[in-house]
Amino acid sequence: MSRRPRASGYFRTNYGEDLSLLPTRLERLALLGVLVVLLALPLLASPFLIDLAAQVCLAVIGALALMLLTGYAGQVSLGHAGLLAAGAFTVGILFKEFKAPFFVTLPAAAAVGALLGVVFGLPSLRVRGLYLAVSTLALNFLVAYLGGEYEARRGFSTGIIVDPPALAGMAVTDAKAWYLILLAAAVATLLLCANLLRARSGRAWAAIRANETVAQTLGIGVASYKLLAFVISSALTAVAGALFAYYRGFVSVEAFSLFLSIQYVAMIIIGGMGSLAGAILGALFVTLFPYAIEASLGALVGASAYAGLLFAVNATTFGAVMILFLVLEPQGLIGLWRRLQTYFLLWPFRHRPVGGARR
Amino acid sequence: MLLRLQGASLAALLLAAPATAQDAYTIGLTGALTGPPASTYAPAADALRLYVDGVNAAGGIAGKKINLILQDDSAEPGKATANAKKLLTQDNVLLLLNASLSSTFAPVVAEAKRAGVPVLFASSVCPKEVYPPADPLQFCTTAFASTYDSRATLAFVKETAKEPVKIGFSAMAIPLSRAEMDFAEQQAPALGMTVVDKEVIPPPTPDYTPFATKLRDAGANWVFSWAPWVTQVRTLEALRRLDWKGDYIAWAHIEAEGELARLKDGSFYVVGANALFQEQLPIHQEIATAAKSAKLTYPVEQLSEGWIAGMVVEAALKATGWPATPEKLAAAMSTLKVDTKGLRGGPIEWTKDNHFRTRQYYRVYRWDSGKGAIQQVKDWTGFDVK
Amino acid sequence: MQLAVNIVVLTAIYALIACGYVLIYRVSRVLNLAHGELLMLSAYLLLWTASLFAGHPVAAIAAALGLSVAVGAMVYLFLLRKLTGEMALAAVLTTVALGVLLRGLTVIVWSAQQHYPAVPLGLANWAFALPGGARISLWAALLVATTLAVYASLFAFLRLGRWGMRMRAAGQNPLLAAQRGINLHAIYALAWSLSTLTGALAGMLIALDSGLGQTMAIIGLKAFPAALVGGLDSLAGALLGSFIVASAEVVLIHYVDPLLSEVIPFLVLIVVLMLRPWGLLGTREELDRV
Repeated sequence: MSRRPRASGYFRTNYGEDLSLLPTRLERLALLGVLVVLLALPLLASPFLIDLAAQVCLAVIGALALMLLTGYAGQVSLGHAGLLAAGAFTVGILFKEFKAPFFVTLPAAAAVGALLGVVFGLPSLRVRGLYLAVSTLALNFLVAYLGGEYEARRGFSTGIIVDPPALAGMAVTDAKAWYLILLAAAVATLLLCANLLRARSGRAWAAIRANETVAQTLGIGVASYKLLAFVISSALTAVAGALFAYYRGFVSVEAFSLFLSIQYVAMIIIGGMGSLAGAILGALFVTLFPYAIEASLGALVGASAYAGLLFAVNATTFGAVMILFLVLEPQGLIGLWRRLQTYFLLWPFRHRPVGGARR
Repeated sequence: MLLRLQGASLAALLLAAPATAQDAYTIGLTGALTGPPASTYAPAADALRLYVDGVNAAGGIAGKKINLILQDDSAEPGKATANAKKLLTQDNVLLLLNASLSSTFAPVVAEAKRAGVPVLFASSVCPKEVYPPADPLQFCTTAFASTYDSRATLAFVKETAKEPVKIGFSAMAIPLSRAEMDFAEQQAPALGMTVVDKEVIPPPTPDYTPFATKLRDAGANWVFSWAPWVTQVRTLEALRRLDWKGDYIAWAHIEAEGELARLKDGSFYVVGANALFQEQLPIHQEIATAAKSAKLTYPVEQLSEGWIAGMVVEAALKATGWPATPEKLAAAMSTLKVDTKGLRGGPIEWTKDNHFRTRQYYRVYRWDSGKGAIQQVKDWTGFDVK
Repeated sequence: MQLAVNIVVLTAIYALIACGYVLIYRVSRVLNLAHGELLMLSAYLLLWTASLFAGHPVAAIAAALGLSVAVGAMVYLFLLRKLTGEMALAAVLTTVALGVLLRGLTVIVWSAQQHYPAVPLGLANWAFALPGGARISLWAALLVATTLAVYASLFAFLRLGRWGMRMRAAGQNPLLAAQRGINLHAIYALAWSLSTLTGALAGMLIALDSGLGQTMAIIGLKAFPAALVGGLDSLAGALLGSFIVASAEVVLIHYVDPLLSEVIPFLVLIVVLMLRPWGLLGTREELDRV
């Protein structure tokens, strides 16, 4: 099932092995190593880096959800910021009106996300491709309008302040604690997505993405699986938005612009469509990109004149990078990584042999 | 040899950096220096930098320089929080300034509170925590103030109007502007005005005519707009194109001075808390000279907010003395009185309960077509801030 | 009566922007989501040529239009052409990325402040009265006239002109057209140039009427539903769609809630897409898998 190239001597002999996530010992060790590094981060890094890591974890959740929808189920969505805003506003509204605790608001946010997923997934049953992308665009504007109305009518003109969630009576405010919570959420999302893809739903989505008519002929309920993709993806995104609201302690309609939707789409493109690892890499890249630009502007001689134009430079280079990936490496960072792996695995040969040993 | 030279200079650089940090007052600013709202906040940050450079050139405060660190957050709350964290924990600033959108306030203030460092809002909208009863760590020097602006404007309209006032309002579809126009709508009837219409206009509108049509058809003879400058001016232009002859009053944003000359509209009043540069006060000359020698990109008229912030910061640091700690600074700021030398109608005076100012002054200007210059219609009117 | 005038003006704005989307989609099946940013760039170019040709407004406008045409051709030749053969989504996302890049560039060069090109050009904007007590500004009237002229010439060009026929052929069946000897790359470059030309006209007229700022790109995006409602490959549809969306917007602003004007184009779009996914006048097609 996995397209990862492997050294010789590795064979799958039953379905269980085919489905397993970490079949080889090396992969298990590698994962352990990564986990150790991630858990050790709060002890070693500066508060600035910990905040950055927390932001990356939040982005990963949203990126994984979008990858599920666009990369696997093949349904284009440009309304991601609207879903994040919906989740965040659910938390804000429930908190301000009913003082609801987090174990009520988070599921509520997921429910709101699922509802929006159904509403905006319905057009996917009648339209495809570009027309679908445009109807999801409407999601952004709709949620912005509703959020703005709420803020204006209830008098929260500078935004809604949300208290941090209380676990066992103690409010979670420590940055390190937040990092661990968000990391756990990201890992949970990754597991959820991986399992969805391993199961029947994943195969159905792959079939729908390959050829919808044939999939229907094979007896796959195209409509229900498309809606399922929308619902799950939207629910996950709304939960990401809710976590964002708690983490920042603040909800405001200005934080969720169309540009945010574009950023998430960029994450899955730059990461590589059709790969969960790609979503993670893409989220990492896009979140850290502005800081990298800022740092390099400071280091480059003569570029400090542009420091005052940081935002514009960010936008310009971001657009340029997206274009470069789309034109030169449509498979994204994962594509680059796979090419690298293949190169080393096949060396000194350049190409796979025709027929014979594959994968 | 070259290697040794490089090594020596590197060592000097490394040793020099901490030394300057210890002998200086370190303050940090997170602001929307770039991004869509930058045209409002970037000039203030530039002007603050200009002021601080001037103070340092004159020897600093009792020999100690001010080390101002500017960080751009592009009006994004995430970046603003990261900036705040860096300034507070890595640079150990005494004072954190915010010149960005209100969506960045909550996380920045939370960080500052945790570090016990005071926050000064300069050019960004004053949060309600600086009004009485004030939060001990939040202060504000920004000119505009919600609710007080409307009160002052409506009072002016009432005394200037020559016939019964039928007033219309124009807001931008952002919560701040809408809240203010809602407040004004409530206050107007008590002053004997009839509210005929209120328009809330989304920002990306190609044509303001439909909204202006509603205002005109409702029979407004006065229109008040408290919104970002773009909305204010485009509503006015659309109204004039519809041959509306009424009077229009709007908040004097930093673009106001330049735009009054472009519009040349004798019935267009701007109300503001900053003195316009055409008054040519000595302080204006000072700012203009400094800006010219520093070759700033922003027009000189837009520098008042940042300059005032600079004056307040200098006074606060002077009152704190040396060695300075955030606690001492916050205490000093709670009883501060700064003479704005004519940039505002009166001094900026803070008390333990009032970190906005004890008295807010307004002036009204308009373009005088006869003289071809900006004319002051109403001199400083004060409102006590309770 | 003023209401009718407002509807006509808004229809003209949306229609002029929408025909840019339609031209490119009809000919090459690519959705150009950077249209808003491209027309914004053209308006900024006008600002630049205005300072170059100070005192000669006609020369400045002509120069800006020429530059826009060149920009459109270059975008195709240096960017979109590299994506031939890739899936349609890649092309769309490339235009999105181009839009982001252009936004950044325009701010770097011209800053985020509001500009008024009419000032350096020395052109005034006065309003004149229409029968029925309505009023219209000079530039708005010019915009309506320009839209009509542009549509008339586009209809004539596509139906009667040699290259217009080639464009229609390339849009209907690219493979067959290529085998017939039609240079597809030239056709696509021409489509892009025409699209940026019409966009430039729209952008410049709007900028001369009410000013130029970063929000113009979003105005371009608002016209997109107008194109979709009418059918993305139909010029007549673009006109019809613009009329529907503009009327809905103006009427709702006047009688219901001005705030809805931002959401209305998209709500209309969703309704139409649910009923007729290919737009009101678009060709019923097997919409491409993205």
